[in-house]
Amino acid sequence: MSTQTSQTIQFPYKRTLGPVIGRFFSELTALRIVGIRCGDRVVVPPMEYDPQTGEQLAEHYVEVGPAGTVVSWTWVPEPGPHHPLDRPFAYALVKLDGADTNLLHVLDTGGEDTVSTGMRVAPRWRAEPVGRIDDIEAFVPGETPEGPTAGEPADVRTMEFFSTITYTDVLSPTLERYAASMRAGVITGQRCPRCDRVFLGRGYCSVDALRLGPEHEEALPDHGVVSNYTIVTPTPYPGQKETEPFARASVVLHGDEMVVSQQQIIGVPVADIRVGMRVKAQWFPEAERNAAEISSKGWGTVAGFIEGWVPTGEPDEPAEQFMDRVF
Amino acid sequence: MAHEPVAVVGIGQTKHKKRRDDLSIAGLVREAAQRALDDARLTWTDIDAVVIGKAPDIFEGVMKPELYLADALGGAGKPVFRVHTAGSVGGSTAIVASHLVSSRVHTRVLAVAWEKQSEGNAQFGLGGGKSGSIGAGGAFAPWIRAYIRKSGAPEHIGWQIAVKDRQNALRNPYAHLHLKDISVEKVRESPMMWDPLHFLESCPSSDGAGAIVLTDKAGGLAAAADGRPPAWVLGTSMRSEPSSFNGRDPIRPQAGVDCAWDVYRQAGITDPRREIDVAELYVPFSWYEPMWLEGHDLAPVGEGWKMVDRGETAFDGSFPVNPSGGVLSSNPIGASGMLRFLEAALQVRGAAGEHQVDGARVALAQAYGAAAQYFAMWAVGSEPPSG
Ligand SMILES: [Zn+2]
Repeated sequence: MSTQTSQTIQFPYKRTLGPVIGRFFSELTALRIVGIRCGDRVVVPPMEYDPQTGEQLAEHYVEVGPAGTVVSWTWVPEPGPHHPLDRPFAYALVKLDGADTNLLHVLDTGGEDTVSTGMRVAPRWRAEPVGRIDDIEAFVPGETPEGPTAGEPADVRTMEFFSTITYTDVLSPTLERYAASMRAGVITGQRCPRCDRVFLGRGYCSVDALRLGPEHEEALPDHGVVSNYTIVTPTPYPGQKETEPFARASVVLHGDEMVVSQQQIIGVPVADIRVGMRVKAQWFPEAERNAAEISSKGWGTVAGFIEGWVPTGEPDEPAEQFMDRVF
Repeated sequence: MAHEPVAVVGIGQTKHKKRRDDLSIAGLVREAAQRALDDARLTWTDIDAVVIGKAPDIFEGVMKPELYLADALGGAGKPVFRVHTAGSVGGSTAIVASHLVSSRVHTRVLAVAWEKQSEGNAQFGLGGGKSGSIGAGGAFAPWIRAYIRKSGAPEHIGWQIAVKDRQNALRNPYAHLHLKDISVEKVRESPMMWDPLHFLESCPSSDGAGAIVLTDKAGGLAAAADGRPPAWVLGTSMRSEPSSFNGRDPIRPQAGVDCAWDVYRQAGITDPRREIDVAELYVPFSWYEPMWLEGHDLAPVGEGWKMVDRGETAFDGSFPVNPSGGVLSSNPIGASGMLRFLEAALQVRGAAGEHQVDGARVALAQAYGAAAQYFAMWAVGSEPPSG
């Protein structure tokens, strides 16, 4: 049985369009499609630089279309969640009237048997254009655009959007064993037979490049020493929940085995965190432990299994022994 | 077979700003590249190959930007490829380009590195889009604490460097930050962002690009004969080490030591502190100046901060560091390494204008990245390499 983990992250972007692409999107808000003169050709969408010579193009815009001719196409019978339409459609290369290049866009015809190379199409505009390529919802058969009547163009200089990525990982055998052990409340590391260093869920020694297998595994203590830390003053960004200064600490497991980095120290004010402080793991209740944070792109993380580290109250260890153990 | 000597004959950079909202990404790289071509008195058709460097794609959300930028960099029909070594990438890009010339694969190569940080959010991106991201400052702050504690350096050293680099930036019209009234007091009293680092001890987020044109010995000599002295590449090196293992020295990473000595050996340098006239070191957080002085054997271990305290790394000091204003004054991440490399070249060409260090004949440039694990360095000189 293999274990899959899945994570979705979402990023906000603000694209600066520059003068040429900005002009193209601005024109779309007035239901106009423009290209740019490039030698004796008209390139659509307009480009800033001649794709053949690399020369900067003068901003000589040419209105094209709105109707055009399908040059080539491919049918999408089962649209997925990321496709522009929720029903079967075609991606088509459309040569707009007056253009010398093909525009890749969406063709909404109702059925595959109604699409043909050479067919005439026109844009169906979004009800309220905002200055994006999907202001043209799709091209439809015929000569006449569909949609609202044109208003004044907006001055579009940036485009804001979210990018979402979902990662699905199939865990390696090493990480599978690591996750199972963590679910049972035991941190398991692998000791390199050559250098005697211990690694968490890595499957190899970073120093000797030796493969580490089940035969090298051993249970590690779930207590250790704060080797270093930082207190971060949070800056606002999308998704940031922290509002007060927060600490992230590195913890060297007892016996100098391994550093667990970017950990929360629980139960004390951040100002009380010290290098050399003795701490022990506070595990999540067994039913709540999960492997979602483990990924094949990194090595063993304790996130999802250990909530943080609680000071034990024992006397500190000497700071100098630990403070350069951070990652 | 001996390597072909490599000459930097063109240098260009953008005006670095918090947000270059006048330019697309393509327009940004173009601004730097066009300036480098103009400086080299070459045209787009003279270039044989283009090397592009930048940091993670997630910073601007354009995957494989080298494909999208081929048009803007005159890449049609030419080899175009991309280098990615985290924060050191701008340096690695220059080095890869230099190798294309030194190996005689190409005669004239354009190297461009860039970042448009305003399109995304570095702290957000570095944290994987999750709350509680510590960002680069949070990652390096513990090592800085370890350096301060181990070396016994007084805390004003960091503030002093923050002031020095910002004052140097006032001489550099391309620098992002021009903080005319910067002072030690202002740095000390600025908010504590990543304990023990204050806000004003940290680099800004910038939009910007840097570009260089490299060519062979004949090209370099021709430029010199034309009254445009090139910078000659005396040595290049890249080194990496794992981010994390028991026994790693994060204050003086072995990869950085090895990288520096590889460059010194190629350049015939045996006493780097005496034989190098000026250095551009990658200092995104103030305390990395003494850490790299020690990390590259420009100062004895534990004594980098003393060089700073004595004013030796000041603009008019005996070993000026970061006359451009450094990463502390402009940080378009992917370009930041390139800016160090091109500043070193500007210095030995005698073309640095207001931030020209008198008598700079040998200059060192360094960039580092990720968990201080990737290093890229070169030494450039005003004379062609001997032999
Ligand atoms: Zn080993």
